[in-house]
Amino acid sequence: MKPRWTGLLLLIAVIVVLALLPMLVNNFWLRIATGALMWAGLACSWNILGGYAGYINFGHSAFFGLGAYVTALLMGDKLAWPFFATLPAGIVVTALFAIIIGAPTLRLRGAYFAIATWAFAEVLIQFASVMDFTGGIGGIGLPPFLDERFFYFAMFGAAALTYLITWALFERSRFGLKVKALRDHEPAAEAMGINTSLVKLQTFVLSAVTASVFGAIFAYWVTFINPNSVFGGDITDQMVVMVLLGGLGSLWGPALGGVALFVVNRIIWMYWGDTAFYIAILGAAIVLVVLFLPNGIAGLFSRRGAKSGAVLDKAVGNLAGDGQGGPS
Amino acid sequence: MSTNSKGFSRRRFLSVSAVAFAAGPLGMPFVRTARAQVATFKAGVITSLSGENILGGNLTKRGYDLWAEAINAKGGVEVAGELFKVDMFYGDDQSNPATGADAAERLIVQNEVDVLFGPYTSGSTIAVQPICQKYQVPMISGSAESPNVWKAKPEFNFGIIPAVDTTAGKSLAVLAKLSNPMAKTIAVIGVNEPFSKETGEGFRDGAKEAGLEVVAYELVPASGDLTPVISKIAALNPDIVAVGGHEEPLINVVKTSKSLNFRPKALIMHYGVTDPAFAQALAADADGTCGVSVWLPSVPYKDDVFGTAREFAEMAQKKSGHEPDYTEAACAASGLVFGDAVKRLGKKPVLTPEDRVALKDAIAETDIQTFYGPIKFEKEGNHYHDNVQPVPVLIQIQGGKTVAVGPKEAAAADLTYPLPAWK
Amino acid sequence: MVPALDLFLQTLLNGLLIGGVIGTFTIGFQLAFGVLHVIDFAVGGWVVLGGYLGYYMAAGLGVDGFLAIPVAFVLFGAIGYLIGPILYNVRNSRTARPELMALALTFGLFTLLRGGMLTAWGFNTHSVPTALSGESLAVGPVTVPLIRVAAAVFAIAIAGGLFLFLYRTRYGLAIRATAENRQNAALMGVNIRRLSANVYGLYAGITAMAGVLMGAIFSVNPEVGLRYTLFAFFVAVLAGLGSVGGALVAALLLGVIEAFVATYVGSSYSLLAIFATLFLVLLVSPRGILRHGL
Repeated sequence: MKPRWTGLLLLIAVIVVLALLPMLVNNFWLRIATGALMWAGLACSWNILGGYAGYINFGHSAFFGLGAYVTALLMGDKLAWPFFATLPAGIVVTALFAIIIGAPTLRLRGAYFAIATWAFAEVLIQFASVMDFTGGIGGIGLPPFLDERFFYFAMFGAAALTYLITWALFERSRFGLKVKALRDHEPAAEAMGINTSLVKLQTFVLSAVTASVFGAIFAYWVTFINPNSVFGGDITDQMVVMVLLGGLGSLWGPALGGVALFVVNRIIWMYWGDTAFYIAILGAAIVLVVLFLPNGIAGLFSRRGAKSGAVLDKAVGNLAGDGQGGPS
Repeated sequence: MSTNSKGFSRRRFLSVSAVAFAAGPLGMPFVRTARAQVATFKAGVITSLSGENILGGNLTKRGYDLWAEAINAKGGVEVAGELFKVDMFYGDDQSNPATGADAAERLIVQNEVDVLFGPYTSGSTIAVQPICQKYQVPMISGSAESPNVWKAKPEFNFGIIPAVDTTAGKSLAVLAKLSNPMAKTIAVIGVNEPFSKETGEGFRDGAKEAGLEVVAYELVPASGDLTPVISKIAALNPDIVAVGGHEEPLINVVKTSKSLNFRPKALIMHYGVTDPAFAQALAADADGTCGVSVWLPSVPYKDDVFGTAREFAEMAQKKSGHEPDYTEAACAASGLVFGDAVKRLGKKPVLTPEDRVALKDAIAETDIQTFYGPIKFEKEGNHYHDNVQPVPVLIQIQGGKTVAVGPKEAAAADLTYPLPAWK
Repeated sequence: MVPALDLFLQTLLNGLLIGGVIGTFTIGFQLAFGVLHVIDFAVGGWVVLGGYLGYYMAAGLGVDGFLAIPVAFVLFGAIGYLIGPILYNVRNSRTARPELMALALTFGLFTLLRGGMLTAWGFNTHSVPTALSGESLAVGPVTVPLIRVAAAVFAIAIAGGLFLFLYRTRYGLAIRATAENRQNAALMGVNIRRLSANVYGLYAGITAMAGVLMGAIFSVNPEVGLRYTLFAFFVAVLAGLGSVGGALVAALLLGVIEAFVATYVGSSYSLLAIFATLFLVLLVSPRGILRHGL
């Protein structure tokens, strides 16, 4: 029971520090913290499908962008909705898209699913670039709201909610067990009477909807979006790398990976922002982590890290999609 | 950090990385940079040092740096008879508007800059404007050319280059007038990315005014293959082909046209033709390509920091190894606007928040002559705070060199028209 | 001739040649995937490296860009051979999801290459001059760009050469056996680790050779790599991962779609159309159009 108590104390300490942060740091660091919370939340959102269900989504930026575009379009001059009214609208639109896209694509396995979702995100980029109502490639501006604290607490709230839902659903409920079962052996899960298609779709929609909320806040925060800035593949790439660095399929791994990668990126960018060399440093850092921290940062802290790795090792789903590529 | 410490020493790498990682993400917020003992002006540069817009981003940075070097060599910016040096700070926007906003916030809050020099891309500029507004810090944009930047009526942002909707069409009209026999038809290609699309629209709308018939207007995706669109246009055989894009797609347009043996009577492209890298990459195939420029080393302007336009060009050439284009010149001129405004304001560093608002008002009243040309900002309308004074010059690459061919009073050589067949 | 028919034929030719061009950098990728089971983000990085080699050889030594092709194969093949074992170790490590860690490794490698090239070689766009650059041949009403024909011939030759190598040599048999079933191949005495290094070297060499051609047809700067990675992934999946012959077929299909949509619907819709096609094909045929090949 002792470790649980220290864990709880640590969690409370983190929450207190985060709640007090706006009083402790200046606006620039608050902005960085806002970004870090967003990425921690997005990494968790990706991990819901990637880590718990074992489906690698290369087009997750599609849902981030949908949330951003719905908010931007509704808050524009013509409709001028208040920000909070756009959030449920974004959630509904994203959920509908996720159901329509998820139902057929979730039949695909491994890399085929990954590339199909990527293709979907590219379709949305091209669509938003060509259409007039989305502002085309020029993008859309939003009415600027310049309160850094508001956005900090909005991201904080969204991230906290995302982690709470993930914890409750995937670490503490039967639903989580079903999802993990289908990840570890889909035919077996089906044989046990789990409606795997439904469970996968529910997980996919949850993952999509959480990403869209961050997209909505992001659009309002940055005040300007265009197709590449919210649908771009680099957004998904970052989520994937953050989850892998933090620890795939663990609750806190994505938070650690998201915060670490974003903050290290920004620190390197601050000191070497006048050359492109920081990109090389970032690349080298990723290579080193893969080589020396293969279970992610979370693997360093938990004794279970190695063990759960061994269990997962036997997982059928691998990117080859044919069950032969995996080691045994 | 000073402008000439761009070299990357190993010691700096080690010491900075040690600090960065030892201080750590939580420790960093409390580390504050001490103000230098000698008062200086601090200027922040936001531009694309990585990502898809690196070429333009580096051009922009070079222009701003040229001013900092020139002014520091003279002892600094003069205020009330005293000279104050300028410190430059940089933020990479990674060719991404959101990172541009982060960079602006950092330069203002962390580095406490007195003025910002604006990004290369219009997208970043639009994202940075609200940050300038929030902190009431003026920004001088030496590069942004998109009309969208000024439509939003940014209170704190000022543009040195006339928006492309005013320049692209005018240059096309000059080209049509000079063509003999007179051109009748035109095909317009716009690469579907923010600035290039607006350039394409500028050409399209300008064509109608110039009395040219637009036989095709095609938007192409930035990473698409150009053979289909060039084939389609070749089949329509227009007199002029006009292309809005950045240097990489422009280079590909020329290569693809040649490989399909299609040579229109005139080819006009914007932006990137004026950058020497374009002619270097294409060698002889670049010859004959027309472009739009609001400045050339041959223009008859001067000021007391850089001297004549020619002298500025030589200084830039010495530093970067090739002739500067108009973006570099406009960025260098941005510094002159700051120097002039702060001198009129008469406030020494460190500027207070009230001083910066007053500085913004002083910049709005700018009316100066520089090596780049006259600078005066619009006070209303669709080009609010943009400097629409410069008259665009039609240039053509001849023998690997950029020369002015129109309008007549600016021409240094005759327009080659129609273009000869490919060699 | 009827102008409409001329344009149709030209569009068809353009499409097939776009397919040939895409095929050049997809074939090696399929081979590497078939054996290593790694989705290699760095594929665009190898293309860009090949393009730079072509540029520097042509600019520095004044030789024809085509001479860089064999050099690219040897040089980057050797580098790939050295990287191969590292990738193999990560792919076969006892971590939670080794195939994802391998993906992250190649993403890191790609980022490292991009940052390194930006720092070392700058950001200017360059072009690789060759004897065929800009040359064309008029065949009836159709203009044939010769450099693209060279790329298509290269793609077919590489695919054919690989086919012969895989199906007519003992080493090819070992590669196919490994792609089919790693354990059985190992039991039969194949040194999988060594073979993986060789295959990764072969792939890196082939892809860098294609990069020289890309530099000649288009142009090269450190930021264009991701575009090639994207197309390599999409063509590979459309074909069926690991299928070398399928890669050519899928590349031709996408090329023809791109050309026809751009000519007859509107250029701005061309990429929308090919990404939508890929998405729809996957829904109908979940493992690509041609599953077998290697």
